[in-house]
Amino acid sequence: MTGTPSIPAPAPGQAVSELTRYEVMFQALRARQRKPVHYTGLDTFAVKARARVDRMRTTRNHLLAEAKRVDALRSSVANLTEAQLDEAVRTAREAFVRGRVDPDQLRHAMALMREVARRETTQEPYLVQVAGALGLYHGRVVEMATGEGKTLTGSIAAPLIAWRRKRLHVLTVNDYLADRDATSRKPIYARCGLTVGAITQELSPQDRAGVYARHIVYGTPKQITADWLRDQLRIGKLKTPWSGRQALARMGNRPEAAQFAPLVPGLHAALVDEADAVLIDEGVVPLIIAQARKEDEMGPVYLTAARIANRLDEGPDYTVEHVRRRAELKRRGRERLKDLFAEEEAAIWKAPRRAEELIKQALAARHCYLRGHHYQIVDGRVVIVDEYTGRYLADRSWEHGLHQAVEAKENVEVTADRETLARVSFQRFFRSYRFLAGMSGTAIDARGEIETVYSRPVVVMPTNMPLIREQMPTRIFRSSSAKFAAIVDSVVAQHAQGRPVLVGTRSIEVSERISERLEARGLAHQVLNANFDATEAELISQAGRGAGGGAITVATNMAGRGTDILLDDAAREAGGLHVILTELHASKRIDRQFIGRAGRQGDPGSAQIFASLEDELVVHNAPQLAAFIRRRTAREELTGDKLARLAVRRSQRKAEHRDRVNRGHVLRQDDWIEKHLPGG
Amino acid sequence: MSERPTFSPMWSRVRAMKPRLRSHTQITRQHYRGRRWHVVHDPASNQFYRLTPMAYEFVCLLDGKRTVEETWHLCLETHGDSAPTQVETVELIGQLYNANLLKADDTPETDQLLRRGRERVKKKAIGQAMGIMYFRIRLFNPDSIFTAVEPIVRPLLNRWGFIAWCVLLFSALLALASEAGALFDSTRFQGAIAPANWPWLMVVFIISKIIHESGHGLVCKRFGGQVPELGIMMLVMFPAPFVDASSTWAFASKWQRMAVGAAGMIFELAAASIAGFVWLATLDTGGVVNQFAYSAMLTASISTILFNANPLMRFDGYYILSDLLEAPNLMQRAQNLIKYQFQRHMYRVKNAKPPTIQPGEKPWLIAYGWAAMVYRVFLFFSITLFVMGQMFGLGLVLAIWTAAVWFVMPLGKWTHWLATSPQLADKRPRAVLTSVAAVALGGILVGAIPLPDHRRASAVIESEQFTGVFAGADGFVVDVLAGPGEFVTEGQPIAVAENPELLAQLEQTSGQFRELEARFKSAMAQGVPIADLMTERRAVLLDHLRFLEERVAGLTMRAPHDGYVADDPRKLAGEYIKHGQPVCTVVASDDIRVVASMDQRQADWLQTMSFQDDFSAEVRRYTQPGEAFGVIEFVRRDAGDRALPHPALADVGGGQVQTDRQQGRSPQATRPRFLVEMEANFDTATTSMPPMPGERVAVRFSLPPRPLLGQWVDRLRQLVQGRIDI
Repeated sequence: MTGTPSIPAPAPGQAVSELTRYEVMFQALRARQRKPVHYTGLDTFAVKARARVDRMRTTRNHLLAEAKRVDALRSSVANLTEAQLDEAVRTAREAFVRGRVDPDQLRHAMALMREVARRETTQEPYLVQVAGALGLYHGRVVEMATGEGKTLTGSIAAPLIAWRRKRLHVLTVNDYLADRDATSRKPIYARCGLTVGAITQELSPQDRAGVYARHIVYGTPKQITADWLRDQLRIGKLKTPWSGRQALARMGNRPEAAQFAPLVPGLHAALVDEADAVLIDEGVVPLIIAQARKEDEMGPVYLTAARIANRLDEGPDYTVEHVRRRAELKRRGRERLKDLFAEEEAAIWKAPRRAEELIKQALAARHCYLRGHHYQIVDGRVVIVDEYTGRYLADRSWEHGLHQAVEAKENVEVTADRETLARVSFQRFFRSYRFLAGMSGTAIDARGEIETVYSRPVVVMPTNMPLIREQMPTRIFRSSSAKFAAIVDSVVAQHAQGRPVLVGTRSIEVSERISERLEARGLAHQVLNANFDATEAELISQAGRGAGGGAITVATNMAGRGTDILLDDAAREAGGLHVILTELHASKRIDRQFIGRAGRQGDPGSAQIFASLEDELVVHNAPQLAAFIRRRTAREELTGDKLARLAVRRSQRKAEHRDRVNRGHVLRQDDWIEKHLPGG
Repeated sequence: MSERPTFSPMWSRVRAMKPRLRSHTQITRQHYRGRRWHVVHDPASNQFYRLTPMAYEFVCLLDGKRTVEETWHLCLETHGDSAPTQVETVELIGQLYNANLLKADDTPETDQLLRRGRERVKKKAIGQAMGIMYFRIRLFNPDSIFTAVEPIVRPLLNRWGFIAWCVLLFSALLALASEAGALFDSTRFQGAIAPANWPWLMVVFIISKIIHESGHGLVCKRFGGQVPELGIMMLVMFPAPFVDASSTWAFASKWQRMAVGAAGMIFELAAASIAGFVWLATLDTGGVVNQFAYSAMLTASISTILFNANPLMRFDGYYILSDLLEAPNLMQRAQNLIKYQFQRHMYRVKNAKPPTIQPGEKPWLIAYGWAAMVYRVFLFFSITLFVMGQMFGLGLVLAIWTAAVWFVMPLGKWTHWLATSPQLADKRPRAVLTSVAAVALGGILVGAIPLPDHRRASAVIESEQFTGVFAGADGFVVDVLAGPGEFVTEGQPIAVAENPELLAQLEQTSGQFRELEARFKSAMAQGVPIADLMTERRAVLLDHLRFLEERVAGLTMRAPHDGYVADDPRKLAGEYIKHGQPVCTVVASDDIRVVASMDQRQADWLQTMSFQDDFSAEVRRYTQPGEAFGVIEFVRRDAGDRALPHPALADVGGGQVQTDRQQGRSPQATRPRFLVEMEANFDTATTSMPPMPGERVAVRFSLPPRPLLGQWVDRLRQLVQGRIDI
């Protein structure tokens, strides 16, 4: 073997932070130069067509056939000694690093990965998982049913992608999963000569730099995007990699150099777990980095605004649009405001447009932002509550004075308004990666958007074992109290059969209501509120217990995500896990994800959705239809009613549509900025 | 009032920037309807941007040292509510930057610059493809030529020059007015636009348009503008030169801007006046020069007035009008205003953004918008139908393409807007319903409600029996007894003429005859043998006498048979008429036929419908278009003949039927014709003039009412039929 320089692999476990500042800067600037293109008009059709052609070339059957071929190599790798395996891995790695991989090499490498996974984690990937991993390697968004082992699939694809693309970010739903997976997959990666780390909330910037320098980095989109965005602020106006190097050189070893140097060494490749949630659902709200405004004496103004707003009457003076969370002044309101403004001293009330804006904001804060639902008062501060997870978002605040308006309404100390320093939408951020692949349990529902926005084809993998979950008909009620009563009855009935029951809710509030009712019936149960920690994972994995009368778990839909609910024999015999969804979500995909917790890996199971005309979704999206149904019939349960079913379905579809429109809006705004504004 | 939110989510992108206007941009102050505007002009790229005084102040505060945020706060402090909001600021910066008028930072934004360049080229190409009716081909930059020529003509380009031009134009008009007869002589005009003259016309047209464009160029130069582009515009496949004088837009004075806009027409009309004088000078000698001058005069005046002066299309007239009204972007704003009105009133979109209009502009902006739209439709049909008539295939392509760009695409955009616009958000069901209802209403109007269906054909009047009344002798008409359209019975005198000479002759001859007769008689009585010579002489005299008597009788012109007097014999009153000169015609009233000649494609309905049961018809005369005469009876139908009932119907005879001139003497239609012979009720009580054989008339057939859609489809089919295989 002369002449071929071998690429030195770092010894397993060795901390790789040799990435010099220059290298990080260079990579960061290069990544910044890439401008993702958003296609509009007829171009979308072209992009879709290309994705379709791509999809045809690498179909699911093709991937499965390839996986079979990989399987055929199984015996040849299974008999290798440990040393031989290491050697084989090293050889394969070289080919990938060089970037020239023929299909044979890929198959061989995949077979090696499978073997490494088997030896290091004792789990041997199924054929479907191998096919999924191949799909990921080819940059697809792979749909695999919940419980099909996405983590394992990702971990055999990740080394190949990391070899080929230098660095890989694996994006997970929460910090706990990032940490857990980074640790549990470490042996596999180490064996492949790759280092791995996880970016979590608690890490200090110095530690982060070290983690980002590793080959494979686990983290949540929010963490990584925020770090990248902060980097953008840091490197400021620098354009070319060369100018970055010069700037660094000029600073030398002065302390500000550390402040200046970016953390994220470029955006090379991303492997997104729960791709639809990250790529689509999160796409509505851009990520923002803000800081408190320094000079701000607006506190009294917001208090005055709240006071004036209180003197207006809803109806004659203004109307409230709950869906869009804003208030609209009527003519009479405007007239009255003129007089009210005249009583004030401060100069700001002399400017009618700005003053009206403040009043509208105060009205919106009063009517559309509810304590306990949208925010909570903690230690005399307004803290936003995440509507999806129900968790407190202590470090977040609403923009443009809304936060202050809410503070004024609650009569707590009005903080300084925060100004946005930088923002990026997730759509744009993920399109900046040179390579993007994803996994999800429900990607197919979002295929159109994934294909047009990210130009990634979607491939649906079959389940390893046939699915035998029973989907029971959706039950619809007139009032939410009737619905909750029926839910509890249903829990009792299922529990009586010895089955474990998982009740999914949309918010902590609902979880608590259910919990109270269960308590009243004397049923022991667990309540999980999406804290994303090891205890929660432990509890959720116990939710499949059947022994001792079947576990009852009440959880918000995000709770314990990414953790398998394992059934014991007693539970399996009793009919498996029964999942109850207490309300429809704003997207069908989220419903599907939650329901997917039952009937994993060919296990028995069942699921049922409960809905009522008082659900937030229906109230906001189909109020007239709901009112009509209520007038038409006096029955409490409307399960068979076609109109009621229509109301529920329609409101979900409407919510989905609205979100889609909002995402389109974000995208267009991005596009406009890119086209019209300098810098970036 | 639309909302002006203070904060923009995009603010973070611009807040720390320290931009300033590029150093080579020029700003001019303009006033529109009493309001101040500032036009930023980049002479290098010929880009313009119009700023409000507030925006102007904001832009002026951007000096490259202040950040946008600082500037914004400065504006807020001084102007409060009227200061630009964040949203407006971002928009302003974006647009200025996109027009390359703003310098953003120290490092050049090369790739964005390049991309914008590419986009501009692409946009231009798309614009070209869309406006296939006026396709532009750029030739060269004529700026240096105009710079060289302008000083030479400069002494003329001032108000004295304008007065001189007025004098020239008026004197030419006056001079031509004296020869109006010759000027508007139809044969001359026909000759000028006859196909044989087309090459001449073409040359003349191009020359006059070159004069026109140099007018724009020179005046633009005169006021310090630039003319960076000269090229050829293919106006519906017809080449016409153009220059780019858009640097005019930065002129501060609206009179200067209008002068540049009008210069083309002024120059062209000057050329037309000179051609008019040349024509007058050579009117007697005739010849090529005269002919040429005539064509030049026509082209340079008519084309300019019809075409350039028309403000409904974006040519000179449009720009002059918009400067005159001080309403820049007239067309676009009119369209936007109409669009806005629709959104506001039909869809009740609350947050629809009204275009910037100043008080008082609204009514005529709307009027202009609608007029332009209607004109556009009119133009589309007239141009495509004309081109289809000449070159069917090309016309069809043009029609489809233009229809796609002018009608289908806006419709598609509208549908897309209806389906996806976030503006509609909660009003969408209503908007969709309203639109569907409107379309349905239109559909019902067009597709379901039967409306009168008329078909027209040109026809000619024929009569089996009509006789001319001729003067029986020379003489002065002293009395006319019957006027035109009067019914006369056989032998009734129509006119009486006098000829004293003839009477004297008759007197003399009868005297001679009497004398001879007397001598004859006396000779007989005396038993003197009558000389042969005498007998002979008597016979001759008698003959002559009879002849004269006949002539004298002929001085009273009588109706040869019952009928109407056609033509006006009264016009001969007092005139001297010669023997054999026609006086009038008497048309037998019971024998008048109207013969219509139709293209077979236009007449297929005739095969299936029967007169009076299914349709009626009426005849109108070109001399009396106000009066209709009912058709009483269908006499005969005849199909497949190429011969025309009368040469008056042929194109050579002034009619509308295309004929081949080569085939024999009488014109033959190029396509087989369908002839219908009808009897019409020409009620003499109402007609001042009885129908004359050979008179061209129009026949209108009233078919049973049908929905418009069916009628249109029918007509389209007629147009396309037999041509589609060409």
